Amino acid sequence: MKEKHIIIMGIIITLLVTMSFIFFIIAKKTYEPIDILFFALPVIIVITSAYIIHDKMKNLKAGLPTKDERLKNVAYKAGYYAFIAAIWSALGSNFFSNLIYDHDLRGGLVVAAVVLTSGFVFMISYLYFSRKGN
Amino acid sequence: MKTRIKELRARYDLTQEDLAKKIGVRRETILFMEKGRYNPSLKLAYDVAKALQTTIDELFIFDDD
Repeated sequence: MKEKHIIIMGIIITLLVTMSFIFFIIAKKTYEPIDILFFALPVIIVITSAYIIHDKMKNLKAGLPTKDERLKNVAYKAGYYAFIAAIWSALGSNFFSNLIYDHDLRGGLVVAAVVLTSGFVFMISYLYFSRKGN
Repeated sequence: MKTRIKELRARYDLTQEDLAKKIGVRRETILFMEKGRYNPSLKLAYDVAKALQTTIDELFIFDDD
């Protein structure tokens, strides 16, 4: 039952993120080259989340657990890489902004960069390690 | 690390999914253990050995190097 609730929550969050992303695209009037990154990362995050939710549902239907000790280890490992990515993206986003546009990023954009980068690294590492084994 | 999971599973006519259900893990975990690509915890190793009616040292073959 608890696992079902987690899956439903996952679906709701994924839908909310997708909707926010669509509203963001509709509301945005001018586009800069860096926006490609801000578009690509949420798309990849949403697609990988949908895949992970689908995989969990498949296991639940087969009467198997959605998470076991191997996947818990995988999540810890992916979380570690996401944490490192969050630190580097917080430092790197302003550095690259100064390098390319010659000005600092607004606080909101730095937060967005940290959330998107760490989310992206978590999803990719999670998929990679869950397919790799250990 | 090599394992005899596949051999013993075949002896008891169990599929990977059957064994996974018995132990309460995902099928992929059994697959990776069989291929020696996942080092299970002592608890999981014990559960697998118990499900296959054997012991841990009979089930897992460790290379010295």
